Amino acid sequence: MRDTTAVLGYAWPLVVSPGETVSFHLSSPTLDAAHARIVRVRCADPDPDGPGLKLAEPGSAIDGRVALRDQPIHPGSAAIIADRPALNAASLTAGCFIYPTAPLAGAQTVMSRWRADLGQGWRLGLDQAGHLVFEVAGAAGAATIISTRPLLEREWVFVGASYDAASGAITLIQRSLDTLGGRDSSSVTTGQAPAGLAWPADTALVFAAHALEGGADPLTGGHFDGKIDRPRLFREPLSEETLRRACETLAPSPADPALVGAWDFSLEMASDRVRDLSTNRLDGQLRHMPMRAIAGANWDGSVVQWTERPELYGAIHFHSDDMADCGWQPDLTLDVPSDWHSGFYALKLTAREGSDDPVESYVSFFVRAPLGQAKAKLALVATTATFLAYANSALRLDQVHAEAMLEGVIALSRDDVYIQEHRELGLSTYDTHSDGSGWCYSTAKRPILNMRPLGNTFNYVNDTHIIDWLEELGFDHDVITDCDIDRHGAQLLEAYDCVITPSHPEYYSRNMIDAFDAYQRGGGRHIYLGGNGFYWRIAWHPTEPFQMEIRRGMSGLRTWEGEPGENGLSFTGEPSGLWRTHGRPPQRLVGVGFDAQVFTRSYPYEWLEAARDPRVSWLVEGVDLAKPLGDFGLRGGGAAGLEVDRVEPTLGSPPHLLRLATADRLDYGGVPTLEELRTLHRGTMGDQNALVRADIAFFPTAAGGAVFATGSIAWCCALTCNGYDNSVSRVTANVLRRFLDPAPFEGFDD
Amino acid sequence: MLVNYPEAAHWQVDPSRQDLVDEMRARPRGPHSHDLQRLLHRMRWTGVGKRHVLITLEPGRRWMLARLPGQRGAPVETFPNRVFTSLVEAEWAVFVMRWEALTGQKLD
Repeated sequence: MRDTTAVLGYAWPLVVSPGETVSFHLSSPTLDAAHARIVRVRCADPDPDGPGLKLAEPGSAIDGRVALRDQPIHPGSAAIIADRPALNAASLTAGCFIYPTAPLAGAQTVMSRWRADLGQGWRLGLDQAGHLVFEVAGAAGAATIISTRPLLEREWVFVGASYDAASGAITLIQRSLDTLGGRDSSSVTTGQAPAGLAWPADTALVFAAHALEGGADPLTGGHFDGKIDRPRLFREPLSEETLRRACETLAPSPADPALVGAWDFSLEMASDRVRDLSTNRLDGQLRHMPMRAIAGANWDGSVVQWTERPELYGAIHFHSDDMADCGWQPDLTLDVPSDWHSGFYALKLTAREGSDDPVESYVSFFVRAPLGQAKAKLALVATTATFLAYANSALRLDQVHAEAMLEGVIALSRDDVYIQEHRELGLSTYDTHSDGSGWCYSTAKRPILNMRPLGNTFNYVNDTHIIDWLEELGFDHDVITDCDIDRHGAQLLEAYDCVITPSHPEYYSRNMIDAFDAYQRGGGRHIYLGGNGFYWRIAWHPTEPFQMEIRRGMSGLRTWEGEPGENGLSFTGEPSGLWRTHGRPPQRLVGVGFDAQVFTRSYPYEWLEAARDPRVSWLVEGVDLAKPLGDFGLRGGGAAGLEVDRVEPTLGSPPHLLRLATADRLDYGGVPTLEELRTLHRGTMGDQNALVRADIAFFPTAAGGAVFATGSIAWCCALTCNGYDNSVSRVTANVLRRFLDPAPFEGFDD
Repeated sequence: MLVNYPEAAHWQVDPSRQDLVDEMRARPRGPHSHDLQRLLHRMRWTGVGKRHVLITLEPGRRWMLARLPGQRGAPVETFPNRVFTSLVEAEWAVFVMRWEALTGQKLD
């Protein structure tokens, strides 16, 4: 058994051009050193029934021994405001609205200027039993008061605390916003602390955690799970009414001499900054990307997009397990030779070779064909948005439905076992945080265990079967990335006569969709060799590379549901969810669109009459149309399976489309996606429902352009069967050769 | 918040249905009859106690029995003496344990 986790790392940047530099940030708690070498990935799948792991070693300047060190990860999001004189007033009142999402998960801090290493300062938070706590401590003594009733999970509550330095009086306010039906946990608690406490120096003000040490950028602990809305800080003890008014108002008076800070989290939504409205300008820094653009305590349902009334979205949802940037130091730096071909690459790390438990771990990166430097007529798109969306998925570990969905006992890899124990890597957008809310961001400044050779067989590994097939059949190609398509648009695609999107190009930004649309309308030829593509609407961060965002909303095949009013992307202000619900169903772009999952097994297609149309005789050359297409494959024994797409004219499949083949007998394991069901009735599974199917489609576009789509994730894992000599391979090669031939497709304008 | 409750699968298991056991023994990976699908759904949705899983020792060739702890961050429990050389064999083995947990009946 190979140890794939003894050393882990990430490459930065994730995508690099020839001639640029990529650094490798590595960590191992157990190894002092490893042997490193760069590999170009042809097939990442060790499956002994397939082509097997195929990695070429081009030889690089960093090949050799690399010393390793342990670089820990510190998860948990917070807002950190570096110490300023205004924060050091003798008396204080702090207040905000909170929405605790895991009040029983352990002691948590909501607002603090607290040094855990000294045990001094003040902090407003929750105790282990979910009671609100206010704690003050200095050299002269300490005091703690605890509210009498615990906070309720996922209920808004106004909270406040004050310390009067003159008298030492302390007060703790807890006021439920909804007081009906047993939801009222309101209480006011008072106590006595030493007067004139001196606060610790060089102590950051922190929201959703407290500082473990001094300085402007401290390590933090006591992370809060939940929303914080409109935090305010004053230099005087205030009454509950005065504090409540100050927290309610969207425009606290900067001229109020008692005001220390009043933060508006609805400003600069895409950034990692929080803005203070007071004259002190106590702006802060967010750590680990807590969820922004979420409904505040004042959200009333009058709008559902934050851009319409941002003032109703002045809250941030912090998570104790948020993790966006490991912050590891680089251990190796590679100047990518300018003559290296684009492709999937990795740093291979080995150790303990020859032992019972040899280490073999990979750190992936991609070498792009840069804009304006195409070296082939064909491009394969690396779907980094999909890789990020699935990055470190714990779905099979955490989610009740996983085994039922996958129709069999779950087989975990060693990577999965590692993720079960090491949640600090940060999970995928399929997962929920420890408080049950969905992960909406994914980043690349962390090890991604399922985007590398030997990883789980979905997305990355499956896509490399296409690379292997292209190389075996001698199709010269460039690799371009979807994030570059977002950045550069159609001009990146237009350099190629033909572009392949692989097994599961599921996550698309608006500019990525528009770029493909423009490419196809301008004569480009697009081969979509996957299933469930062009499905979710995402955004890339406007300035930070390799950060993507998804809001799941309330439709689609979703492993968590977006909360009401929280379906707008914080990165761009665009609505998120399914492209189908935004007027851009995949059928309109590629002729087919997602309709079902089938994990019991995969199936062959049957050819339809359209396959005998003389206009597509080139497509079926050498193929026996009387025989099933793809009654073999490495994923479930067929070419149609896992997630499948069908032609649907009402969703935009074009009139000229030829539906060439179908797999429409998917039996009871064929389960339609949620948005396919109008009403609830039995008879919707594949054994009774012909709409549960995979279709193969071809249509010409404009100016000589065309689209070919296979509508199945399993397709690409059938390409290599029988030594690459099979009907799936033949059809794909026929299409590819024809798509690389500039001759227009005749006969479709009649 | 949309939640999947593990206890929601409540199809009643009839310990006298040896025909379902025989069917599962003959074809652990399916296709399955309607009632066997219901029984498997009951087992798979709930996990029946802590969820048994496999750990791949050798891709496509060897798998070890394991059990999820039901808590994030806790280690996966492994059973190194129970190694399977096919997923069919593993599927049957997990069924045997779950059948006993649901009915009290040990299967051969």
